[in-house]
Order: sequence, then structure tokens, then C-alpha cells
Amino acid sequence: MTTIQLPSPGAISDTIEARPESDNYLTHTRGILSWIFTLDHKRIGVMYMWSVLGAFLLGGTFALLLRTELLTPGPTITDSADTYNQWFTLHGAIMVFLVIIPSIPAALGNIIMPIMLGAKDVAFPRLNLFSYYLWVTGAILCIVSLSMGGFDTGWTFYTPYSTTTTAGGVIPVLTAAFVLGFSSIFTGLNFIVTVHKLRPPGMTWFRMPLFLWSIYATAIIQVLATPVLGITLLLLIVERTVNIGIFNPSMGGDPVLYQHFFWFYSHPAVYIMILPAMGIISDIIAINSHRAIFGYRFIAFSSIAIAMFSFIVWGHHMFTSGQSALMNTLFSAISFSVAIPSAVKVFNWIATLYKGSVSLTTPMWYALAFLFLFTIGGLTGLHLATLSTDVHLHDTYFVVAHFHYVMMGSALIGMIGGLHHWWPKIFGRMYDQRLGTIACWIIFIGFNVTFFTQFILGSQGMPRRYYDYQPEFQIYHVISTIGSYIMAVGFTLTAITLFGSLVNGKKAPANPWGGRSLEWQCASPPPFDNFAKAPRVGDCYDFTVVHWDPKIGGYRVDESNDPEVNPAAQGTKAAH
Amino acid sequence: MAIKTANFIDPFDNAQERGVAGVFGMWVFIAVVAMIFLACILGYLVVRFDQPPGREWMPEGTPGLPPALLLSTVVLLISSYTVQMAVRAARFNRQTQLRYAMGATLGLALLFLAVQALAWKELWTRHVTIESGLYAWTFYVLTGVHALHVIGGIPPMVQVFRRSMEGRYTPTNFTGVVLCAMYWHALDVIWIVLYATLWICTALAVLAV
Repeated sequence: MTTIQLPSPGAISDTIEARPESDNYLTHTRGILSWIFTLDHKRIGVMYMWSVLGAFLLGGTFALLLRTELLTPGPTITDSADTYNQWFTLHGAIMVFLVIIPSIPAALGNIIMPIMLGAKDVAFPRLNLFSYYLWVTGAILCIVSLSMGGFDTGWTFYTPYSTTTTAGGVIPVLTAAFVLGFSSIFTGLNFIVTVHKLRPPGMTWFRMPLFLWSIYATAIIQVLATPVLGITLLLLIVERTVNIGIFNPSMGGDPVLYQHFFWFYSHPAVYIMILPAMGIISDIIAINSHRAIFGYRFIAFSSIAIAMFSFIVWGHHMFTSGQSALMNTLFSAISFSVAIPSAVKVFNWIATLYKGSVSLTTPMWYALAFLFLFTIGGLTGLHLATLSTDVHLHDTYFVVAHFHYVMMGSALIGMIGGLHHWWPKIFGRMYDQRLGTIACWIIFIGFNVTFFTQFILGSQGMPRRYYDYQPEFQIYHVISTIGSYIMAVGFTLTAITLFGSLVNGKKAPANPWGGRSLEWQCASPPPFDNFAKAPRVGDCYDFTVVHWDPKIGGYRVDESNDPEVNPAAQGTKAAH
Repeated sequence: MAIKTANFIDPFDNAQERGVAGVFGMWVFIAVVAMIFLACILGYLVVRFDQPPGREWMPEGTPGLPPALLLSTVVLLISSYTVQMAVRAARFNRQTQLRYAMGATLGLALLFLAVQALAWKELWTRHVTIESGLYAWTFYVLTGVHALHVIGGIPPMVQVFRRSMEGRYTPTNFTGVVLCAMYWHALDVIWIVLYATLWICTALAVLAV
């Protein structure tokens, strides 16, 4: 501890109060151009956030359309199976590439990560803005592909269908995914360098909040896996254009090679989606239990372990693609082992709740929803990693249900939870927590009605991606569709809650939940340069120094009893 | 040293820290590029050695790799030497040598691309076109993807060259030159691995015939 430069005990409150309240990153400069050309990580993050939420609305609309179509066997709202194919493809591609992958790292990560770390910005602010515009380019290309006739390949773009389908929008959407990949790579690169090189004095690796660990593990995957997708999509674009290439079997190429390449990226990509959500949940659970996170190092290292494992399990997407029995067995065994670091996290979260003093805030409800949904999503993954059951469950609604539990029930719920967690910090307004919690419950119920039904549907043999089905499946499809409508109501209520707070929300205190990490120690919304003085880095999971202050309607960090700050207080710190 | 305007806050305290982060960022970027080529090479090896029975990788009479590739390899190696010379010149504040070395590297980069184009032309005129089969296709794709990375490196290199002409690099601040050199060495190493892979796999096919 001798190497840490310690400012005076009052330093932290100075950083909050040092400047006029009205000067924050939202108001520091004005005009649309000051946003378009901004290099401020918070503004870039906010732009990402609105864009991603816009894309989420679009992807969600397609989800509702395709669920409505499935209300009855045969035609319901469209006569054309091709149109249906385009809907589910668009739903998948938009949700994966435009929403979930950038949602937490690029939107929330950009806004929060540097402040949490105690840095003034990310390492390369210009590259950060460039990443955002790559995202915008990708989004525009997706829309262009719609106007050029859409695409019906599924979000996986499997060959040889993707190289031979007559849908006109395949090349623009492949280009979109390619561009979005580079957006993701540059964000990852930026975050890796930021975490390595911009930690202030005192912010050691093991003092980093777990959100930072998970964002860091995510960035490693983004940087190492996404290039493979990039080159694969490039080869696919060329192959579709000239009809020659290594995925073309008539020339001695191998279409299954495409699947290997695709899943070498897209399996790690699943962890790009879930890891940041796990980080958010770790922090929400610790803060709202007002109790040190249980097994900090285990959670931190399990993020890294998951990132490592993610690179060697891709073959479990291809058990029925003609892989050799030996490969299938190996991939199956390695896939099982991913359950270990995932379970380490779940048990540690539950252990944190145990004997914690739990505040049931809106973000906490999302975290609890995450615990249930992720556990179901994770454990059903084991059914799919088991060869003998996967042969039956492959390409059925069971798979759809499984990955929605993980991608939506976990990654997206984590994102929405994080949004509620940091909303007061980002915009300086409190939302109506009662309304937010009701919305959370509606989403949770709607989600389970939609997707738990699909486990049953899948185990009874209903294949995914089908426009038509046997009448015996109709009851499940109807229940599932009703669930999706319930979720639509829940998300609408969430939007009302959050946007309403911008209009008439109470002013948020700097620290509404009782957090200890650095972002709660600067004002809400944060000032343009994050910290006037370098903040003092404490143990971000030591909540014994965080006290409710009724005067400010929020929590206050009082470190005067901390011997690290005030040597005179040695020994007086309560033995927690 | 840290820059602060109404629109921009420099996250670093000084140019040295920024330089260190830049070098680290370049290492990460090199990892990105390496993954791209790793995928390319693995894909090549799979289609090369997993041809359906009865299909020959190089049918009788297919020409081998163009000898011009040997020349381009030498050109690239020399450019790696000159760019390193530029780094040393900047470190010891030898401004004239820095300019010449950067200029030479830029020239050699363009020469490399010209020789690669010659190699393509040579194969093409001997009727090894992209329609000829995967032997030709993979050759054009692998060398093409590498050439794209060389082309991508040229604008930053022009920028560094321009700045060196303006005398902007000092012994304490020459990160631009270092980043340029790192990327260039990486492309050099990647090319050697790529060329060796192509050479060995083509030689195996020739021997088998």
C-alpha cells in the first residue's frame, strides 16, 4: 500500500462539488455538430445507446411479426413463406449484429468503463468515434439490403444456400456484418489498451470492478475471434459474386468449412454477448446486497476462463454437419466444461445474496430475473452439448428456446438491468422505480411464457425456421405468441418509465444505489472530464464505508475511518 | 502535455504514455491481422489437403508459383530493413537518414505491389485464371488479401513520411515511425509464412505428379 499516492480525506467530496452543477458532459458543448464530431466516450456511448435501442425496436418488430404469423398453421398474416424467411433472418441478424453484440460493450461500456476505471477517456477517442460510424454504416447497409430485396439465409449465412439464393440483399447484409465486425474489433482494441494503460495509481487489476473484468474478457474475444468472421464474410461476398470459391463443392471446395469458420467466430460471439451482462449482474448484485461480492477472484478469473474456452467449443454447433464421431465427442466434452466457470459465477452471486441486506431496486429485479433465466438457459445448453440428445433436438425449437434464454433472457436482460442501474448516472434523473419493477416483472413473465413453451415445442419435434406446421403444435405456438405480446407490453412500459424520467424525473443523487466504484463518486451526470482530480481508488466492494445520507437522498462514501485514508483511525474500522 | 479543449480531453498525461499505449494498441492490432491470416492459411490447408477423390489440386500442365514472388519477398525484406533504419535514425535524431529511410520504405512498398501484380499477370497470361480451380483461386485470394493489407499500410506510411519531411519526429517522440515499422515487420513475417505455405503445398503437388 506504500506505493499509492493518497490525497487528503476530503478529496472525493471535492471532486463532486468542485464545479457548477449545470456543467456536465451533456451540456458542456451544444449543437448537433458537437455530438456528431464528439470524441467524448460518454457521448459516443449515448449515441450508441440510442442507436442500439432503435435497432432493438426494429428487430423486436420483426419478432412480433413472425410470432404473429405462427399463430396459425399455414398463412396467417402473409401468404408467402419467403417473406416469413426474411422476417426471421432480419430478426436474427439485427438482434445479433446490431443490438446484442454492441449493446453492453459499445453502449454502456463506453459510457461507464473509463469512469469506473478512473480514466478521462478511452485510449483512442478518435478510433472510438470511428467504431460508432462503422456501426452506423453497417446499420445503413442492413436497410439498403432490405430495399434490394432482403435476404432469407438465416443470420448464419450458411453455404451453399447463401451463395445461391436469389434474394437480392445478401451481399449488402454480408457487407454490413463485415463492417459491424470491424466496429466491434476496434471497440475491443480500444478497451484492451484502456484497461492496460489507463488505470490510475491504486487501480490494480484486482481492484477493478467485475464489470471491467468482464468487459476486458469480452474485448479479448472481440479482437481474436471477429477477424475470422471478417475474412469469412469477405470470401463469401466474393464467392457469391463470381460463384467460385473454397466453399463451392463443385470446384472441390467444402461448404462445411464455412460452418467451421462461422462458428469459430460466432460461438465466441455468444460470450461477447453474455460476458458483459455477467459483469453488470455481478456489480448490481453486490451493490444492492450492500455486501462484498463473494469470491471476487473466482468471478474475475471465470470471465477469463470462459473467454478462453469459447475458442475451442465451436464444433458443438455442427454435431449433425458430418463431423467425425471423434471430433463430436471432443467438442461435446469441452462444451460441458464451459458449465464450470458459468456455475462458479452463479454460485458466487447467490452466495453474495446470502446474508446480504438486499434492496429490491429495479436493477436488482433485473439481476434476479437474470439469475433464473441464465440458469435455465445455461443448463439446457447441457442437453444440447450431449450428443445423444442433440441429434434429436438439433434445429428444433428447443435450440431456439435455449439461446433465447441466454441471449435475450440473460444478455439483453443484463443490458436492460444495466441501463436501469446507470440511467441516473447517465442522465442525472431518477425513474419511477415502481413502474420499472412492474415492467421488469411483465417482461420476465412474458419471456417465460414465450420461450419455456418453445422447450416443449422443440422436444416434441417442431423444427425451427418453419413457416408451416402440424396442427398439433398450434396450442404451443399460440401460447408463445401471447408471451411475445406480453413482452412487448413490458418493453413499452420500460420505455415509458425511462423516457418519462427525462421529462419529469427527480434529480438523481451522485450515488443512488450505494455503489462504491468510481463512477458513483463523480456527479450525475458526470462532468465533461470525469474527474477534476484523480480519484482515490478504494476497495470497490467494501460497502462498510457507504452510508445513506437523507440530506442528499443518496449514498455517501465516508472513508474517514479507513486507515488507508486516515492513519489516525487505525484500528477503529469496524471488523466486518 | 495533455491536450484539453472544449471537445477533447486527452486521456494521457504526456506524449510518452500516449506512445506506450500506441505501441500496445499496435500489438493488439497485429494480433487481429494475424488472426485474419491464420484463418486464411487454415482454410487453404483444409481445401488443399481435403480434395474430393479423383480431383487433382494441380492438373497436368498447371504452372507452379511465379518466380516473381521470390523477387517480391526480397523487396519486402529490404523494406523491413529500411523501416527499422528509420526507427534507429529517429531515435538518434538523424533527421536526414530518417527521411531517406522512410522514403525508401515507401518506394519499396510500391515496388512490392508492382512485383505482386507482375506475378498475377504472369499466371493469368498462362491461363491460370480464377476459373481454373481452387489452386489458382486460393493463390489469388491469399496474395490478394496480403496485398490489401500492404495497400492499407501505405496511407499511414505516407503520413509518417510527410511528418518526417517536416522534421516532426524527435528522439523523445517518434511513435508514428515505430508504429509504422511494427506493422511493416508484421506484414513481412506474415508474407514469409504465407509464401512458405504456398511454396511447400505447391511443391508437394508437383512432386505427387
